[in-house]
Amino acid sequence: MSYERGLALCLVLEIALFSIIGWNFFTPGNAGEIVRASAEIGLLALALTPVIVTGGIDLSVGSLLGLCAVVLGVAWRDAGWPLPAAAAAAIVAGVAGGGLNALLVARLGIPPLIVTLGTYSLFRGLAEGVTAGVKNYSDFPASFLFLGQGGVGAVPSQLLVLVAAAVGFWLMVHRMAAGRTLRAIGFSPDGARYAGVSVNRRLGAVYLLSGMCAGVAALLYVARLGQAKADAGTGFELMAITAVILGGTSIFGGRGSVGGTLLGLATLGVLQNGLRLADLPAELAGVVTAALLLAALGANRVFQGRDGT
Amino acid sequence: MSVAATHRRELSVGAAYGALLVALALFAPAFYQRANLRDVLVGAAPVLVAAVGMTLVILARQIDISIGSQFAICAVVAGTLAKAGLAMPIAAAGALATGAALGALNGVLVAGFGLPAIVVTLATMVGLRETLRWVTEGVWVRDLPPGFQWMGLGQDAGRFAIPGLALLVWALVAWGMRHLAGGRAVYATGSNAEVARLTGVRPRRVVFGVFVAMGALTGLAALLSAIQFIDVQTNSGVGFELRVIAAVVVGGTSIAGGRGSLVGSLLGVLLLATAGPALTFLGSQAYWDRALQGLIILVAVAADAFGSATRLKARP
Repeated sequence: MSYERGLALCLVLEIALFSIIGWNFFTPGNAGEIVRASAEIGLLALALTPVIVTGGIDLSVGSLLGLCAVVLGVAWRDAGWPLPAAAAAAIVAGVAGGGLNALLVARLGIPPLIVTLGTYSLFRGLAEGVTAGVKNYSDFPASFLFLGQGGVGAVPSQLLVLVAAAVGFWLMVHRMAAGRTLRAIGFSPDGARYAGVSVNRRLGAVYLLSGMCAGVAALLYVARLGQAKADAGTGFELMAITAVILGGTSIFGGRGSVGGTLLGLATLGVLQNGLRLADLPAELAGVVTAALLLAALGANRVFQGRDGT
Repeated sequence: MSVAATHRRELSVGAAYGALLVALALFAPAFYQRANLRDVLVGAAPVLVAAVGMTLVILARQIDISIGSQFAICAVVAGTLAKAGLAMPIAAAGALATGAALGALNGVLVAGFGLPAIVVTLATMVGLRETLRWVTEGVWVRDLPPGFQWMGLGQDAGRFAIPGLALLVWALVAWGMRHLAGGRAVYATGSNAEVARLTGVRPRRVVFGVFVAMGALTGLAALLSAIQFIDVQTNSGVGFELRVIAAVVVGGTSIAGGRGSLVGSLLGVLLLATAGPALTFLGSQAYWDRALQGLIILVAVAADAFGSATRLKARP
């Protein structure tokens, strides 16, 4: 727990610093902007938390987001489906993509790093192939854009989605037996199997969920930017993994928390937004993120007293 | 064990590559024009050089996803040194030394502090890329001296020298991995670091060494790529790490360490480098290239999982 408190303290200091040096930083409007800008990565990071807790990884989520965005565009514009059906098709595409990862990881026992490296190329490649690399779907109706640009009063609609997902994942990882089995798998897959855990089924489920969240994140992305292109979500997988690791989840599995992931996500989101409002170079965000990641690894070892290797 | 048992993946990837070449000979003989073959090889050379380093890193049970950022920095260093009027060999040495230094940074963090390689190199990937963007402000290195492009050899000789040098590096390292103590130590460390330590290998030194070698080879790869163009871009190498890792994995090197070969990596590089152009020659559109690359990776590893009795469950 103390690692998370340390991270929360960092976040408070960060907010205080930007409030002093930044323009219009500490306002409700800007808080909404930060949420909007980090909602998609937040969804991916939430879904990646149980994946990484099992000792796995999913590099394909950014590419899958792109593929789902393209599926939405194709179903709505090219096939002429009503938008709700097209949105459902995008989420189904996400589940199917997650299902492919699940099949290869859980059924065939291929290391997740390799599986998702392959699907990272495959999903992005399919999105590029279908759109011939250039096609851009836009002119979505206002009722759909509301999901990414509107909100209830001052509360952006993404916040509602993000909170719902966070509560769901928190219940799963911290309040249900499933969460304990995920941690057991992360510590020792063989040990978990001897303890009667259906390891393959659990592993399959976390990759499926990860794919589904990529589909939902694709809807948020398209609704926020008003366009669906094959390059949607490029690099999001690394941002999401960074948020999870910064949140104190061990890359080796067995340990991690949804609350930590949210803190990590907020730290990254505030950093990027704050640097811009303080008129500092945007590149600084990458440099600081790298330093934070390494510091997080070091701090984790101090707090947990567990060997990182 | 017979060669068929110990070199399963090399044989299957070699067979797949052979089948692709036969298909091209039957349906698209235009692929075998001299100019086209040369372009494929020149394009594959930087990936091959980096794949040599990545094979060592993965054999030692590590991973390095920062090489795309290292690649960009090394290319800019080579260009800047050449532009400052230094002789081309010095600029080349500068690129290699820069790569080795960046690799040493990863090596210290992984081997010295015992931090997980995937997170360390994720951090250096982001940090190095953004630092480069900050320093150069995205401005390309232009107005390079005439001796920079093709190392002053001219286009024809240069296009021959680039794949030649890459193959030479590959052959030297492949020989060293089989016949030198250092090469065997990499396999030993990746198979079981504790057992390796008990037999007198120093695993931490080996791990540090493979990261330095990876960096130096990335520097060479960046040089071989940069000299093909008039300007040096400052945003090169994005996604390079995944292309290189994919080639090594397709070549059969196990992500769990200790198992794999440079012959496999060469075949993996060639297969992935040929697949894209082959697609175009066989009448499909080039933008399906990335999907095909992903499919090749998945088919290669899935075939392995079906075929092998002992299933490996590795951690990232």
